Amino acid sequence: MSLLEIKNLNVRFGDASAVPVVDGLNLSVDKGQVLAIVGESGSGKSVTMMALMGLIDAPGRVNADALTFDGHNMLTLSARQRRQIVGKDMAMVFQDPMTALNPSYTVGFQIEEVLRLHLNMSKKQARQRAIELLETVEIPAAASRMNAYPHQLSGGMSQRVAIAMAIAGEPKLLIADEPTTALDVTIQAQIMDLLLKLQREQNMGLVLITHDLAVVAETAQRVCVMYAGQAVEVGQVPGLFDRPAHPYSEALLAAIPEHSLGAARLSTLPGIVPGRFDRPQGCLLSPRCPYVQDTCRQQRPALEPKAYSQVRCFFPLNQEVA
Amino acid sequence: MTVVLTARDLTRHYEVSRGLFKGHARVRALNGVSFELEAGKTLAVVGESGCGKSTLARALTLIEEPTSGSLKIAGQEVAGANKAERKQLRKDVQMVFQSPYASLNPRQKIGDQLAEPLLINTALSASERREKVQAMMKQVGLRPEHYQRYPHMFSGGQRQRIALARAMMLQPKVLVADEPTSALDVSIQAQVLNLFMDLQQEFNTAYVFISHNLAVVRHVADTVLVMYLGRPVEMGPKEAIYTRPLHPYTQALLSATPTIHPDPLKPKIKIVGELPNPLNPPSGCAFHKRCPYATEVCSTDEPSLRLLDNRQVACHHAELFLQA
Amino acid sequence: MNTSNTATEVDQSLLYPSPYKEFWHAFAQNKGAVAGLLFMSLIVFCAIFAPWVAPHNPSEQYRDFLLTPPVWLEGGNWQFLLGTDELGRDLLSRLIEGSRLSLLIGLSSVVISLIPGVILGLFAGFFPRLLGPGIMRLMDIMLALPSLLLAVAIVAILGPGLINTVIAIAVVSLPSYVRLTRAAVMGELSRDYVTAARLAGAGLPRLMFITVLPNCMAPLIVQATLSFSSAILDAAALGFLGLGVQPPTPEWGTMLASARDYIERAWWVVTLPGLTILLSVLAINLMGDGLRDALDPKLKNAA
Repeated sequence: MSLLEIKNLNVRFGDASAVPVVDGLNLSVDKGQVLAIVGESGSGKSVTMMALMGLIDAPGRVNADALTFDGHNMLTLSARQRRQIVGKDMAMVFQDPMTALNPSYTVGFQIEEVLRLHLNMSKKQARQRAIELLETVEIPAAASRMNAYPHQLSGGMSQRVAIAMAIAGEPKLLIADEPTTALDVTIQAQIMDLLLKLQREQNMGLVLITHDLAVVAETAQRVCVMYAGQAVEVGQVPGLFDRPAHPYSEALLAAIPEHSLGAARLSTLPGIVPGRFDRPQGCLLSPRCPYVQDTCRQQRPALEPKAYSQVRCFFPLNQEVA
Repeated sequence: MTVVLTARDLTRHYEVSRGLFKGHARVRALNGVSFELEAGKTLAVVGESGCGKSTLARALTLIEEPTSGSLKIAGQEVAGANKAERKQLRKDVQMVFQSPYASLNPRQKIGDQLAEPLLINTALSASERREKVQAMMKQVGLRPEHYQRYPHMFSGGQRQRIALARAMMLQPKVLVADEPTSALDVSIQAQVLNLFMDLQQEFNTAYVFISHNLAVVRHVADTVLVMYLGRPVEMGPKEAIYTRPLHPYTQALLSATPTIHPDPLKPKIKIVGELPNPLNPPSGCAFHKRCPYATEVCSTDEPSLRLLDNRQVACHHAELFLQA
Repeated sequence: MNTSNTATEVDQSLLYPSPYKEFWHAFAQNKGAVAGLLFMSLIVFCAIFAPWVAPHNPSEQYRDFLLTPPVWLEGGNWQFLLGTDELGRDLLSRLIEGSRLSLLIGLSSVVISLIPGVILGLFAGFFPRLLGPGIMRLMDIMLALPSLLLAVAIVAILGPGLINTVIAIAVVSLPSYVRLTRAAVMGELSRDYVTAARLAGAGLPRLMFITVLPNCMAPLIVQATLSFSSAILDAAALGFLGLGVQPPTPEWGTMLASARDYIERAWWVVTLPGLTILLSVLAINLMGDGLRDALDPKLKNAA
């Protein structure tokens, strides 16, 4: 059984007639697997994970056929049960380490807090374990860093602390929401290496949310491409980048400067992601898709398994089986 | 090709107070940057936080005076310029900022913001100004009715277009773009970069393009300047730098940049540690503590830029990489 | 050129209401604020149309009806809905006339302290090395003195009366505007759009008043509303002490003072002006809260 199973997740802000921010999403992650969720702003990728962790407050509503983690039904958990799981078995690393850490408390205090609350350690044990954790995330002079405040640390260091807090509870699933977007490229490489190393050593499932396709290509095994709240393609990593089946995946790849080497202009899709007021009746990409046909404008395609991946398109690309 | 921007040994130091009794420390934010830029060309400045690129941007756009060194824009020397000359300089260099959300005045209509440079610097009538604004808006892909709107009604990509339009209103000779697409999604980034390229062709503007995204830089740059801790470490034509980087820091940057088709045979260069404290820079070469090739001489002698293989590089051991 | 990029773009800006509509929508969600606004509208209406709204002349003394109770008490008279005071003057008319004075005092003291306060705050923010600290130390000295005592001292020097009351209140509320403006200005100065305006060649006056000041208005508007209510309270206090507006002018605080002796015999002469002061101040404060809530998030969204 998968570690994480999401079936038909819908998230709306408002009543049933409000436009869904996440629409009919299916996802699964196994132990020891790295799944990347890729999308641009407005794709619903962060909201998906917030819904999973129970962080969506009214007027947001979360509906799903199934939302199971490690055998627990996340939809029917009481607040107390949820608190025992979230932060311990399921942990999250956020984008901006400067705001994810509490500026008024030392780094050591924040890690110890996680250990005392979730693992019931005594003060002394927690302190010892916190120093170990800081060493695991490769922070030099860990013992003296325990007394540092977040603003005294660099971006890379703060993110390592955030990762230490996340793995303190020995989670089975780690969710990283754009963990390196705010960091310099060499630090980004270090942090991604660290995340992957920890994931391998502790056999965690890792969900990596990002808009950077290159990072996905180098780290994930499976990828889910989201557009306007829907999953449009789900597949294996090298395959999806070599043979994108959904026109949006193809467009995302084509827009990367790497792929226009020599060309004067980057290839782009006209227009922007549909917002609340202009969702098309048919396929959500139809106003912008270069391959659009009449069927596309009238009906919404479902996510279906095709040659190499699951695709939400009536006329998927690259379907020839080699 | 006319040279529109000449920088010689640009240096900017800050005095930082270290507390009541400890006296002042000197932060060498920018240490001797020199280059020449021709009209219609793009110089990309690459480096991570703390490398001095923001300081360079502020010096080039005349927001701050360099501590030493000379800067010439369109033939006019900046230091010692009189009031009229300064006014002209002001029109010759403009800037586009990183955050599309902070660079527009939230309480001013965008039409007014676009007209403001004309209002301050030219003697055009109100209707002439409006005409020019509408023309520029069309060029960057905005509609005429957008004139009356406020910034918060636009998306990030649209705001960057507005910011770019505002910078180009005076048709400056030099445009400094400080990470203009870092905050944008990939497909919006592509649209905005295309716009940058189109405007450069139209107005023959020279660009100083500051970015930490090496993939974007490879697309837009003609010349690349790599900086580390305020010093230039490598500078040369784009292809030379990308196909055969000679400075270990450049190599590390390129290696750390993720790519869609990673080459499993090419080992990743891992550099350890973080940027040194600018208040207490390492002796000799600023990079030697993190460099996998550092030797004795690197910790004692600061290398200076020298010509090697069609570019400038500041490394004692650059010859090691010539065969790669 | 590349207008194809926007061919299929829906104009998001058409979907946004104008800033005023947005503000009203946010403001109207706060029921207390709307209630405050309604009450204040009533007061403003009374103030503007006082001569026509008031049933009697506020200074006319009805010798036959000294200390008449309000209409709902025994001995009340429909001619005098809220009763009469110790000289037989209709209380309701005096309260209505008094609203003119209170609003006048509130408005003029706010304007007289807002304008110099904002200008000083702008200069303090734009020149943080020498001029700024100088201005702020001056303000610190003013803030160190209890506001009411300071007002009393000013009135004692200048003499009692309406104009001097306004001046005293204005001086006392100056430091808060300077502080607020300076804080807001310093926050905005580091933003990119100010740098962009400098790059466009904007000189100091344009930077101060056109670029930065409109972005500092939200906390200032809220402060102005709250100062309005404290101006009314200060004027009432000064009037009560006999230093502000002098009788027979029907200012609410002065009315309280002259009715001190009648608390036991005719409680309405004291209580009703006091209640009016209470309700007005409450209404303004509720409005101020609503304003702050409506303006601040918008500022954050726009950022």
